[in-house]
This record gives sequence, C-alpha cells and structure tokens, in this order.
Amino acid sequence: MDALPECPASGRGPLAVVRFLGLVLLGATVGAVAALFAVAFVSLVLALNDLLMISPRSRMMFDHAGLLLAATIAVPTLGGLVVGVLHRAIPERRPHAPADVIAAVQTRRGRLPARAGGLSALSALVSLGAGASVGQYGPLVHLGATLGSLGARLLRLGRSDDNITIACGVAAAIATAFNAPLAGIVFAHEVVLRHYALRAFAPVAAAALVGYVIATNVLQRGALFHVADTAVPRPWEFVAFLAIGGLGALVAGAYMHTILGITRLAGTLPIAAALRPALAGALLGLTALWVPDILGMGQETLRFATIAGAFGSAELLLVLVLKIAATGLCLGMGFSGGVFSPALVIGTLFGALCGSLIGQLSGAPQETFVFYAVCGMVAVTSPVIGAPLTSLLIVFELTGSYALTTAALASVTLASPIAAQLFGRSLFDMQLELRGLDLSAGRGRTVLRTTPVAEHLTDDCVTLDPQTPVAEGVTALCRARHGEGYLVDAQGRYRGCVSLADLVAAREAAAGPACVGGVSTLARPVLQPDTSLWDAMAMLQDVNGEALPVVDVTADDAFRGVVFESSIARAYLARSDELSREEHGTG
Amino acid sequence: MALGERNRGLGSVVWLALFATAPSEADDGGLTVLSWGGAYERAQQAALFTPYTDATGTRIEVAQYDGGLEGVRRAVTEGEVPWDLIDMTRSEAMAACAEGLLEPLSPALLAPAPDGTPPEEDFLPDSFGRCAITHSIFATVVAYRRDAFPGTRPDSIGDLFDRQRFPGPRALQRTPAVNLEWALLSYRVPHEELYDLLSTRRGLDLALARLDELDEIRWWEAGDTPPQLLAEGEVVMASGYNGRFFDAMVNRGVPIDIIWDGQVQEHETWVIPHGAPNPEAARDFLRFATTTERLADLSRHIPYGPARRSAAVRVTTHPDSGVDMRLHIPTHPLNAERALAKDEAWYARTLERIHDYFRAWLAKREEQ
Repeated sequence: MDALPECPASGRGPLAVVRFLGLVLLGATVGAVAALFAVAFVSLVLALNDLLMISPRSRMMFDHAGLLLAATIAVPTLGGLVVGVLHRAIPERRPHAPADVIAAVQTRRGRLPARAGGLSALSALVSLGAGASVGQYGPLVHLGATLGSLGARLLRLGRSDDNITIACGVAAAIATAFNAPLAGIVFAHEVVLRHYALRAFAPVAAAALVGYVIATNVLQRGALFHVADTAVPRPWEFVAFLAIGGLGALVAGAYMHTILGITRLAGTLPIAAALRPALAGALLGLTALWVPDILGMGQETLRFATIAGAFGSAELLLVLVLKIAATGLCLGMGFSGGVFSPALVIGTLFGALCGSLIGQLSGAPQETFVFYAVCGMVAVTSPVIGAPLTSLLIVFELTGSYALTTAALASVTLASPIAAQLFGRSLFDMQLELRGLDLSAGRGRTVLRTTPVAEHLTDDCVTLDPQTPVAEGVTALCRARHGEGYLVDAQGRYRGCVSLADLVAAREAAAGPACVGGVSTLARPVLQPDTSLWDAMAMLQDVNGEALPVVDVTADDAFRGVVFESSIARAYLARSDELSREEHGTG
Repeated sequence: MALGERNRGLGSVVWLALFATAPSEADDGGLTVLSWGGAYERAQQAALFTPYTDATGTRIEVAQYDGGLEGVRRAVTEGEVPWDLIDMTRSEAMAACAEGLLEPLSPALLAPAPDGTPPEEDFLPDSFGRCAITHSIFATVVAYRRDAFPGTRPDSIGDLFDRQRFPGPRALQRTPAVNLEWALLSYRVPHEELYDLLSTRRGLDLALARLDELDEIRWWEAGDTPPQLLAEGEVVMASGYNGRFFDAMVNRGVPIDIIWDGQVQEHETWVIPHGAPNPEAARDFLRFATTTERLADLSRHIPYGPARRSAAVRVTTHPDSGVDMRLHIPTHPLNAERALAKDEAWYARTLERIHDYFRAWLAKREEQ
C-alpha cells in the first residue's frame, strides 16, 4: 500500500528554480523541433498538391483536359488506397488525432505512441497531398504532441512533465502553422490541458514563441484575411453577427454529426476497412469534376469566400453543403486529417452566405462583407474544436484588426454555448465519448474514472471454502486478525463474504449451519478488475466493512483478491493531490 | 528606348531580329553584343561599353535586337552565331535555355560586392538562371496625370479601378498579362496567392468583372503609346513601362506620376549564345558589366533597377537633368515595397489558354 505523498518540500528554493528553467528550456526545444516538423509537413503537402495536380495552379498549368480529368479521380482514389494500407499498421486501425492527445492529457496517461504517431502523420500527409477534403492542423497538433511526449520519455520525466511537453508540441504546431503564438498558447491550454498552471504556462509559451520565430523566418504565407481599413460595422450589424453565431452553431452541429454519422455508417459497409478511403477518394474526385472547390484544404475557396461577389448565394449554399458532405465522407471513411481547415472553409462560406443575403435584403454596400465571412468562420470553427478563445485570437493575430475581433466575439458569444448545450464541448469530446471516455465532468473525474482500482489489489485476506466447518472458519479469521472472510469454491469462484460475527453466532447457535457456506453472507458489492477508482469510491458510500472483493465476471466469477477501503480512500486522495499540485503548483 | 517596343512574349506576334551591323569584326578580338538600341543602348554605351573598351582595349560592336528567339535559333542551328552576348528578358532566356540555344552560366564568374559580399547574397532573389544572369529590373506600372484629380491622388493599384474617386478614361495594354493581376489585386488578395487564385475560373471571372467596371479603356500595343496618350490628355491613367514614363516626365516635362503599388517587375539578363565566337571574352565582359560600380552607373542613365543590392544603394543622379534616380528605379525600397513578381513559369504554361479567355472577353466587350 502506498503512503499518501508528503507535501513536496522542493516547491521553493534554488533547486526548484533550476528545475523549472530546465523545463522551460525543454519546452523551447520541443517547440523548435515541432515547428521544424510542421514547416516540413506544410511544405510537403504543398509540393504534393502541385505534383499530383490538386492545387489550382498545377491544374491550370497542365494543358491536357483528358489526363487532368483522369488524375482528378485517380489521385484521391490511389491516395485513399495508400492511406488504407498505412492504417493497417496502426494497432487501432485508425489514424491517431487530436482526440488521442486530449485523452492522454486528461487521463494523465501521457506517453503518446511514437510509431502510431509517425504513421498517422504520414497517412495525413498522403491524404492531404492527394486532395482529400481534410485539414492539416489536426495532424500538425498530433505530430507536435507526439514529439513532445517523445522528448519527455527520452529524458525519463514523469507524467506531469510528459503532459506539459505534449502541450508544448501542440502550442508550437499551432503557432507555426498560423503564425500566431498567442493562439498556440491558448489552444494548448483551452483544448489540451484544460487547466491553467504557471508551471505549464512558461514552457508552453516558450514553445509557441520558438515556433512563431521559425515560422516567420521560413514559412512565408499571406494572412488569411484582409480588411479595408475604413470599414467599421454599423451598430445594427452586431445583431447580425450574434445571429450568425447562433446559426453557425447549428452548421457546426451538422458538420460534426455528418462526420460521426458517416464514421458509424462506414463500419457497417461490406467493404474491407483498408479499401474505404479509396472509395471515398473516388467519390470525392467524381464530385470535384463538377465542383472543384471541395478538393483539398480549400485555401482558394476560403479566400474567395471573403470577397463579395466571388460566389452567388446559391453557389455558396451548394459549395457549403458539398464541402460538409465531402469532409464527412473523407474523414468518416478513414482518410487521415484534421477537422479544422474544412471547418474554416465551411464557416467562411456560411458567413459569406449570410453576408450576401443581408446585403441583398438591406441593399447596403458590401464594405463589411469580410466581417460576415469571419463571423461565420469563428461561429463554426469554435464549437468544432471547442476553443472560442483560440478562434478569436487566430482572427486577432492574423488580421491585427480590433474591429474584426470584436465582431467575431459577438458571433462566438452565442455559438459556443448553443453548440455546447446541443452537441457537446467539441468534436474531439464527442469522439472520445463514443470511445467511452467522458470528459464532461472535468479532468479530476476523468483521471479517477480511468485509474483501475485493481492497482491496489491485495491477497492479504482470508478465503474460505464453503465446505469449511464453521469453527475452522472462525479460527482462520481470528488467526489472520480479519473480521471478514471470502467464500471461494474449489473452482476458484467467489461465493460471497461472511463476517466473523456471523460465523461466531452460527457456531454458538444450536441449529446453526455446519459449514461456512451455510452462513448468511453480507450484502457486499464486488469490484471488477477494470472498475475505476471513481466507481469504487461511489460503491464505498454504502459499504461498512474492511474491503471489497475483486471478481472477474468474464472468467466465471473468478476471485482475484480484495481492495481495502482504506486503499481506495488513500488512492483517491493521492490522485487528487497529484492533480492539484499539477494545476496549482508553481515548480 | 526600345525596350518597350519589343514583343512581350505573346503568342500572336511575329518574331523578328534585325541586325544593324554585320558581325565581321568579331574575329579581330572585339566583342559583338545584341541589345535593344535607342536610349537603352546609349545608356549601356556610356556605362558599360565605353568604360570596358577604355579598361581592356577590346572594342564592342552593338547589333540591334527586337526580342524573340527566331534569329538566335536560326543562328545557332546554322552554326554561325555572330554575337558574343545577348541582352534578353528572363522569360525568353528561360525558353532559349530550355531549347539549348545558350551556354550555361555560373554565378561563380561574378565579382563580389565592394564590401566583399558574395554575389549569391548581393543579387536579388532569382537573379541566376541556368544560362542567364539578371543585371537590371524594369517594371510595368500605372501612371496618372497629376492634374486630373484635384485634391486627391491615386496611390494604390486598386485606384486604377476606382471610377468614383478617379473618373476618366484609362489606357491598358491589350494583353491579359498585368491587367488580370492588377484586377485581382484590387480585391486586396495577398500577392503570394495571386497566381493560385488566377488559376481558377472564379479568379479569372472576378478579374475580368473588375476590368468590365471600367467603361472606357483605350487598348495600347506599342510601348510609346501610353505616355503619349497621357501627354495628350486622352486618358487620365495608363499602364506602361517605367522607363517610358520616366522619359516623358523628366525629358519632356509631361505632368504625370507613377503608382508604384502593384508594379510588375521583370528581369533583364545577359546570356551567351551557344557557339559564340569569343565566349571567354564574353564572360570577362559579363563580369565587368555586372560589377556594383557599373550597374550603379547604368541606373544613373536609365531608370532600371540594378540586380545587386550593393549597386541599388549607390545610384545617384541623372547625368543630364540632375534628377535623383533612386526615386525612379523600380527596386528602390520605397517603390519596391508592394512590387509583384511576374510568375513566368505560370505564364509559360498557360499563355495560350489565358489568351483565348482574354480575347473572348474582349470580343464580347467590344460587341456591346
């Protein structure tokens, strides 16, 4: 039995400072590595898109209509085939994604597998390169997190530090990809860590900063949005931005449920899992012949959606619906990639649709069109990734426009709560819930829910065969100084729990049972080997005794041992203490 | 200046090479250079050819070049190349190099900057091709009449399309190139994405829709037309070559100014044709003509930006008028801030289709 940890004596003092600085330095290093990987990833995707005739530029420069048509269908199909084969090498047979990062941090498990992470990044690279309608930020976040976790493991650090380096990798990836360090820091806190601790903040900030510096020197990309300096929305337009937020939450819900629904449906298809992405790719390519805007990440579509008049209203609606369907198809059928970039496109199209409808109704000049596009964008992306602050900061850091950020704030104010109430905190949380991990009650409960109580299993107990004479049972319990004995038959099956008091009473009674099997057993709940600490605590509320037996129902009620009540209480306190030190400690 | 007169790489134009002098002197140790004539040649004469002859004793003959690859191609296939060096635009040099008409050139033959900076760092990005070395950069820009808009002045490329604030007829070149770029830039799209967006039907449509908003366009083909139209007050804004506008402004006193925002830069390069009579001497001249000092001097005579950063900061005044030339060269930091690099690889592959598309639009516009 483990003792309750002492209050950490090393919380203050010179040694703690050095240790803390070391962690910050590690954060910066993880940031640099993650940023370089992110830069390489982004550049490779662009190069593949040019090579495989996915990018509009390469399609325009290729002067052979027939071959282009064939490539539009063949490239996503063959890409899907490669992705399907790659995923066979991952134990879960699916790509790892940000949801896995969140699960690892929220359960304090850490230790993201490097091999599965590398394969997932590779399959995401192929997916994006071959034009699947998926995002690049999810794979970048997962890659950064995997690198961070790897760093912690190489240095043999504990789980707490593992979690921090994971967050560092995440922050650096976002800071690099968006050229937005603040968004990177906030994303790591808002989505991955889900608590704010100074101990984590400094390394994460260092990582984001390094990522940003690397990005500004290597990746030179145009800002996502441009705003006319003079345009300021009129007061009534803020009401429209609020409404866009509310409606955007519904669009986000439709998007998330399309992905989850097609994922569910794909499982029932009579096609080998490895071939599903290829099928999705073929369908995507066919549709792209008609509406090429749905191919790939959709940078160009995103840009056009911010320009008034680039799309007609009907066209906006068509591309919006097809993009949702295409992304759901690609991700549901097993392509590897993120959900954020498509959400950006979908949200911006939705905002543009609202903007052009309002423009038609009010007859106002379209100076503030980009405001509508951006409001739609945050209204859809923020519920999908469960990060309203990150969405706002991305807008702010990319545009430097306070007016635009304020408009986005109006939109997000309504979008986030509506989506959270109707659908869940984020798509990641919804995915995890489907896998049986409920994060809705916070990290403390998640940790308790994922710690199996069997860690505290002991065989320091008295087991009695039901055939044992009552007197012998009394003697055995007295010798072992236990008040309770567990009836286990010759096949090793658990038969119940008897108390010393009942045995003695049976021995004294004139017509009492001859063997312990006849004594009335105590009403005692049993634990499964995989029962969580949380559930064990809940059972203890109604139990007054020494210990709970652990019985494996899957192995014909085999008796595995007992867990003392005091062990459960002690483990509960220890976990809570670890968490509070991680979340409120400084060093 | 003849630079504007040449064909701008368009499919519909007939290539022609005129040779003003017979290249018979080449064998007595002199060099024959194929260049553009006019004010451009006079500037080269003063800044490059005469100083080279003074320094080395090698005489330089100049043959007249009007662009295109036809003459070079013929001379190389026949094995009788009369020129040692050609002053070529980069897009044509790229095509000629791909056809094997040119000698490979290494940046190693170039001189370092006076402070020892190696040429790789001193030259502007993309100055070195496999067979060509950029020496100057010229630009297609928009100029406007100073007296056309009382109380206000256009200063961004979007103003070319703003008829409310800047009313009046425009003169534009009768090509898709540059016009499409500017039209799309007026939607405030970032430069980096310009050609990606122009690669979509939606982008092309947006660009042409912008051009359609201009009710009166005078289309020009010869490079001397736009300054002339501006001088005569026929139009209030015109696109054209920066050297031409400089000439009108400084030498003829036409009241115009240049909008440098959105200027489209193109490279002017030195190449050595395959089978040149004196390739070694040609390399020696090339090294001399691309030193910081010579490039800075060339830009005093004609407002083209030196390809070397070290030369750009040494440019001084025009020798005749005393005008500060730094303000007139496209690569000056004040002018170059929002310059657009023409995507020549993109044009090389899409020219035909973009052209058809533009012509169809033009025909429809002229019907109305």
